[in-house]
Amino acid sequence: MIDFGYTLNPSSRINLDNFDRNKFEKLSKSEPDVLLCIGCGSCTASCTAGKYTDTSLRKAILSILDCNEKAAVDFAASCLLCGKCTLVCPRSINTRNLLLSITKIYGKKQ
Amino acid sequence: MKHANKNIVIIGGGPCGMEAAYRLKNEGMNVILVEKGPSLGGHLACWDRLFPESIKADDLLDILKNNISDVNCFLNTEIIKMNLRNDAYDIELSNGITVLARAVLFATGFDIFPAEKKEEYGYGIYNKVITNKDLEQYFKTGKDERIPANPKNIGFIHCVGSRDEKIGNRQCSKVCCATAVKQACEIKERFPDANVYSFYMDLRMFGRHYEDLYYKAQHECGVRFIRGRVSEISENKEGKLIVKAEDTLMGKPIKITMDLVVLMAGMKNSEAGIKTAGQLAVLRDDDGFFNSEDSFYNLEKSAYRGIFFAGTCLGPKTIPETINEARSAVLSIKEYVESFAND
Amino acid sequence: MKDRIIGGYDNFVLPFMAGVIFLGAYLLIGFVRILYNIPSGDRKKLLISLITPKTILKNIRDIICDCLIHVKIFKRKALLGYMHASIAFGWFMLILLGHIEVALFVPERNGILYYPVFYRYFVAEQHHTIRGGFFFFLMDFFLLMVLSGITLAIIKRFRSIIFGMKRTTKPSLADRIGLYALWSIFPLRLLAEGFTAGISGGGFLTNSIHYVFASFFGNDLNILPTWWAYSIALGLFFFAMPFSRYMHIVTETVLILFRNAGLKVTKPRKGFAEAEIYSCPGCGLCIDACPMNVLKKNVKYSSVYFIRFLRRHNTRKINEIAQKCLMCGKCSSICPVSIDSCGIRQAQRETITNILPYDYGFLKKPGLYPVPQPDCSTDPGKEKVLYFAGCMTHLTPAIIKAMTGIFDAAGTDYYFADENGGLCCGRPLMLAGKTRAAREVIEANTKMIMDSGCNTMILNCPICLKIFREEYSLKGIRILHHSEYIEELIQKKRINVKKNNMSYVYHDPCELGRGCGIYEPPRNIIKMLGELKKAGKERKESICCGGSLGSITLNYHDRNKITEDSLDSLIINNPENIVTACPLCYKTFGNMAEIPVMDLAQAVNKNIIKNKQI
Repeated sequence: MIDFGYTLNPSSRINLDNFDRNKFEKLSKSEPDVLLCIGCGSCTASCTAGKYTDTSLRKAILSILDCNEKAAVDFAASCLLCGKCTLVCPRSINTRNLLLSITKIYGKKQ
Repeated sequence: MKHANKNIVIIGGGPCGMEAAYRLKNEGMNVILVEKGPSLGGHLACWDRLFPESIKADDLLDILKNNISDVNCFLNTEIIKMNLRNDAYDIELSNGITVLARAVLFATGFDIFPAEKKEEYGYGIYNKVITNKDLEQYFKTGKDERIPANPKNIGFIHCVGSRDEKIGNRQCSKVCCATAVKQACEIKERFPDANVYSFYMDLRMFGRHYEDLYYKAQHECGVRFIRGRVSEISENKEGKLIVKAEDTLMGKPIKITMDLVVLMAGMKNSEAGIKTAGQLAVLRDDDGFFNSEDSFYNLEKSAYRGIFFAGTCLGPKTIPETINEARSAVLSIKEYVESFAND
Repeated sequence: MKDRIIGGYDNFVLPFMAGVIFLGAYLLIGFVRILYNIPSGDRKKLLISLITPKTILKNIRDIICDCLIHVKIFKRKALLGYMHASIAFGWFMLILLGHIEVALFVPERNGILYYPVFYRYFVAEQHHTIRGGFFFFLMDFFLLMVLSGITLAIIKRFRSIIFGMKRTTKPSLADRIGLYALWSIFPLRLLAEGFTAGISGGGFLTNSIHYVFASFFGNDLNILPTWWAYSIALGLFFFAMPFSRYMHIVTETVLILFRNAGLKVTKPRKGFAEAEIYSCPGCGLCIDACPMNVLKKNVKYSSVYFIRFLRRHNTRKINEIAQKCLMCGKCSSICPVSIDSCGIRQAQRETITNILPYDYGFLKKPGLYPVPQPDCSTDPGKEKVLYFAGCMTHLTPAIIKAMTGIFDAAGTDYYFADENGGLCCGRPLMLAGKTRAAREVIEANTKMIMDSGCNTMILNCPICLKIFREEYSLKGIRILHHSEYIEELIQKKRINVKKNNMSYVYHDPCELGRGCGIYEPPRNIIKMLGELKKAGKERKESICCGGSLGSITLNYHDRNKITEDSLDSLIINNPENIVTACPLCYKTFGNMAEIPVMDLAQAVNKNIIKNKQI
């Protein structure tokens, strides 16, 4: 390769090649409902904490699928586990265990 | 030669039952149409206009009605008893008449999902929440006290009672997306100053010209489509509605004050149809709709000889699809009846 | 009345003695370990309770009622109660009488452990003397009592349904050894004493045995072997005890002392929890009680198995069970030993979830909640109500509508704290074991409530109610469930309701009934509205609606099965309406019930006589 002297910025594009399938399988074993999300946004819309801060189960799931584990944990970290999202989820996802599992598997222990 | 039994009982006087009655009559069958309600037409009679071209529902209804002016129609009648006897069904009607029918066609149709069951949307609790059916009635009659004179913000909420495990309806009701977009255009035409919002999970504009309808809603009516399912609606002190959803494309929870909210209530199998079919222990699937013999080649046949299905009792569908299915059921019934004549 | 054996010893006592010494040592070490592991404050509490006359009396009463008579089981099912009581009480009396006999007749043998147990072997007595006959009769009477209990126990093992139990515990290996030892102890004792009756005398039972067997084989030859067998059975039982469910015979008394001292579970496996774990009699009453067990696959999550795995330190299983439980508290409420298995589960959950990361920085932001201006102008006696609907209630607007309707009808001056959504109460976090996080939420809510200047707080969600009552310190504020408040409003004639001809059944929400002990106010209100019908299982045996926030891992479809089961129990007497007093139960039932479901507030609001004076 000829070096033309350009330094390219690293791409900001999500690189799905980095997806950690083993870790995700661990998550889907801990809470199989993670596979059911259709991204309707009900959980985030009803979220008690979501009124104050960036809490979103939907985005946490998407972040994991898009290889951004840190963001996933951040989206789940402010969850109050109140369970409202479980009630509104049209796919009846067991949201509370999913949120706990995400922090358990992708988060650092405190 | 013994007299061939060509009695066919059609249960349900909606578009499906009416079309089947007309075609069967033309095939020389002796048709008895049984309708539990006081008039023919089913849900079609409650509707104002039909997507995608916004033709008048009444025009179609008139055609269907005229076709069967000489068919035996029993209104306000239900099936009391139904027994299989020698390759025919002995049917007792609530008006005292007993029919020995060679074949029975279930055209029992659907029920609109009772929107009050999704309590977080406040139907029946808040004054300014109506359903798609209520809105059609309003378009038809121009009267609904719940609809304010000059609404500023109007919201359509898709998938109320569809694609929702919580209330036991997992299936997509298929027609509500197109209905919502049609109604959004119509209400915008009625209230040109209003902002119209549509909250959807997925827009399923699957049919021919449906996409044009979507195009029109965006381009001509300026309907704002928000990809996010509404989680709850609350009422403020002025009686206006606060709708909460997530704009999932933006990734932010949103709230908006609405003057009118229209719930796109979905379809479920008709309770009356289920009750009637219950006498024969007709099998139903998890979604509550009847099970055909198979879902490709013998859609209109049931597992029982002489029992046929057509229309929305086999799952949500549009009116053209229903009418086509009625016709295909007629073919099958004709074949079935003639198989006895050859004996 | 004299020692038959000079020296008062025979080798056959060895198995028994070995067992007793082993058990004694095990118990002592265990007790010290428990004492060491309970927080020092609790130790002090325990010490004080042991010298307070009131708790001493309560301890004695509880020990007699629970450990000996098994009153709680009697109340559920008399035959089952008799089975347990006859063995426990009968055996206790045999031991007690044995000691009395030693003390009275051979005082020089006082303090020898085996003497009262093998008394008949060592001491000869005449049954026709009055004092001999008296003890012979009593001993035989209680032996008969124990034997009847053992017979029932054997029947129960094979046909438990006779005792009202659909399912019983599957015994572990140690349980089996203990079980068979226990079954054989008393028949062997009967034989041993019977064979010895020719020499030492006997009562109506033992003497009869002597006569029967003497007629076809020489009794005397059988004397020693049967005493050996009796001693071995006892020894085996004592050796098996620490590893089997029979440990509860001794630990339960310790548990009662701890509980009456006011101790609570802090760690899942140590201290008070350990006392609870070893007090589980493994009776299996919790298996039928558990709402999850409507599905057979869930039987393995029953409290009795949870405790078994805790004993075995099987962390994987322990965690699995701890996270599955609905935390409805039904097993604890019917447990003959009142083991707080939900408390242990919660403590176990803490070990899993308390270490997980969380970030509640937003709680520190100013202006988190809009608070009403403190009302300083009016007199201090005036009721200032803060209404806190809670998260769930925002999904059930009918309840909010009904509550505000009632407030308006009563002329209550209220402030709706979370009208536009508020914070969670913290209870769901607590239930999930995230206690550290819950404390932060509690702190934020406390600040909001104290700032509001209210003196009465009304909650229509029992989940909130429980934590507000137990974990919040809100000085000077009455915390009321809406059922209590509405009852008060009706009593004070601030609202009037009319009676209609509808019938209602009331569902006790777990957190309200078993959780907060509120059973009567909702029923009293419903009786004023219409006819109150009974549910199949109610009050402390009410079946969870299935929606409970307590379970972490139970999925929706399994929950539905519980809901169906709970509904079946509710509609057993064909009521026209189901009334509950929890938004979560209301919503869960609402999706599946075939008859109308309503919250208490809705039922009241519908039947309120409007335009009444304030």
